[in-house]
Amino acid sequence: MGAFGHYLAAHFDTLKSEFWALFVGGVANGLLYGMIAVGYTLVYGVLRLINFAHSEIFMSGGFAGYFVMRYFVGAGAPPAGMSSVGLIILGVLVGGLVGAIVATVLERVAYRPLRKRNAPKLAYLISAIGASYFLFNLAGKEFGHLAYATPQPYINHPVFHIFGAPVQMYFVIIFLVGLVMFTALDRVISKTRLGRGIRAVAQDAETASLMGVNIDRTIAITFIVGGTLGGAAGFLFGLSYGVVYTMGFVPALKAFTAAVLGGIGNLRGAMIGGLILGIFESLSLVFVQAAYIDVVAFGILVTVLLVRPTGILGERLGRAA
Amino acid sequence: MKLRLNKTVAVVASSALLLLAVPAVGMASASSAATKPKPKPTYVIGYEGPLSGGNLQLGLNMVFSVELAINQANATHKLPFKLKIVRYDDQGDPTLSPTQAQSAVANKKLIAIVGPAFSGATAAAEPYYQAASVATVSPSATRVTLASSGWNNFFRVVADDGVQGPSDANYIVKTKGFKSVYVVNDGSAYGSGLASAFATQATTDGATVTTATVPGTAQCSDGTGSATEYTGAATQAVHSGASALFYGGYYCDLGLFLGALSSAGYTGTIMSGDGSDSSALISGTTPASAANNVLLSCACAVSTNKAFNKGFQNLSNFSANGATYAPEAYDATNVIIAAMKRLKKITRAGVVAALHKITYKGITKLIKFQKDGNIAGSAIYVNKVESGKVVQLGLE
Repeated sequence: MGAFGHYLAAHFDTLKSEFWALFVGGVANGLLYGMIAVGYTLVYGVLRLINFAHSEIFMSGGFAGYFVMRYFVGAGAPPAGMSSVGLIILGVLVGGLVGAIVATVLERVAYRPLRKRNAPKLAYLISAIGASYFLFNLAGKEFGHLAYATPQPYINHPVFHIFGAPVQMYFVIIFLVGLVMFTALDRVISKTRLGRGIRAVAQDAETASLMGVNIDRTIAITFIVGGTLGGAAGFLFGLSYGVVYTMGFVPALKAFTAAVLGGIGNLRGAMIGGLILGIFESLSLVFVQAAYIDVVAFGILVTVLLVRPTGILGERLGRAA
Repeated sequence: MKLRLNKTVAVVASSALLLLAVPAVGMASASSAATKPKPKPTYVIGYEGPLSGGNLQLGLNMVFSVELAINQANATHKLPFKLKIVRYDDQGDPTLSPTQAQSAVANKKLIAIVGPAFSGATAAAEPYYQAASVATVSPSATRVTLASSGWNNFFRVVADDGVQGPSDANYIVKTKGFKSVYVVNDGSAYGSGLASAFATQATTDGATVTTATVPGTAQCSDGTGSATEYTGAATQAVHSGASALFYGGYYCDLGLFLGALSSAGYTGTIMSGDGSDSSALISGTTPASAANNVLLSCACAVSTNKAFNKGFQNLSNFSANGATYAPEAYDATNVIIAAMKRLKKITRAGVVAALHKITYKGITKLIKFQKDGNIAGSAIYVNKVESGKVVQLGLE
């Protein structure tokens, strides 16, 4: 055995007792990462561009949800029952809508003019970073630099237990919203005419346009879809962690990692990458301090990329999904 | 004006003026001065601190208190002298404070300084005050080394940074009787320093201590962590089985962590230091109820003195409640005035010597200085969040 063996044995004992609690939290984080990652992957699929302003789409959704909750719930006691359900659906819808609007504006202002002029890829990158700075500073100016707690539209209590680990209402909400959104998105992309268009543009934009796919419209819709999920994720994140103008930066960076982990450009890869990242991060807490959690996250990423340079699922949006 | 040392010089000077300058205006002013029976000499108490720039509010909190104390002292008419405030704006900046200190020292009527407000500014200014034997009584400079730099004119009415962590540990372990404490720090210089000072003292006091670093988030400050990590970190705190948790860090991240702790089902006592001692902790915690009963320590006092609170509000047009370091500045001014009252002949050096010996009952605490200028006795307050408000419980 030796010292290291004892270290591992002690930590595996902890892992056994805390596994399910950490797992539940990890799945919830993973679903959030996945919802944001979808936006990166879709845009990458059709434009071969990392939309670094996606973090601000997430932030906009968070603030939209915050204002809706402040208006309907305010400082009063959290509602219960059907009104809770209604408020959460409303929050998801408004968060998603605002996310979609910001994404659309972003595409129109920051990307389309460059595309029309056949700008080099680096110009897109700079434009993305500029848009990101503009948006979060604008939010800071408009809403102030303080962190705001979102009024709670529900009472957070354990709903049920998995192997003794309590599953909070907040996690249940994330599971449900995440599942519904992922299922719907997967269906849209793989089964509908719209999805076929997106896949066609991802595979070969020029040929797709010759075949009668309206490229501008398809790209706009891709931004709308990614923005909706990103904005909804912003609302869900803000429900538990509050909103502040810089809230997008780290979660979006994690989500970008998740997208690369799953295979950038691959829709299911983004969802799976998000889940894996969330769960591994959470479980790694048993072995390392929270300060090193990012080391674990990026360690996983590097390891996966060493073995599979294109990510876990590795294929492009055009061929898979 | 700068040459006038006291009343005698003033009279000599104006007589000289009378002799040299004959015009009627000169005559009139001199004769009216002569008819007044022995006007009291005027002394200046200076305030050095930020009176413009990003830290203006902190400076305003203090300068109104200094002014209030001086106005009250003048209003009693019992003093054998009149007091006047002169403001020296250093913006809290160490590069500006030496100039302000030199200007203050050059004012011959100036007897003592309330301030400097900031530690860095104090360190830069103190050599000039020291050379001129000007006593400085700071309401707010908390850097530990200020007291050990050998400046015998340096005093402060606030506990230094090294006191808080150990004092908090004694409060949790000895006063409250918790035998097992989970100590979290946010990875910042302030948070880890406070948490490790707490952990060391708590261990000495006989408690079982588990430590964890949970980095502050980018969304709150310049941290590197993510709020999503708090879920797992809170789960671990719960599973540690500790009945008390100490957080070394700032209010914004603590707010996020409190939400995660409440989600994870933590029910023990939670305490944090002055970095979290803010009403913004309550507005930033989701749900707000998760902040209830959190204990917050601070070297800063909240004034419960009604007369002071009323006077401060009238003068400043804002409430003394939440005006950080306002009560301390009031005490600092009053302890200087008390020292001046003891002197037959008021000199700068005399005030320094008197401050070393004085015992004065202030509105924040009993003020008595140690040899190095630090305040004697316990000077850390413990506050508690009760139904959405930070309430002061008293000294630890």
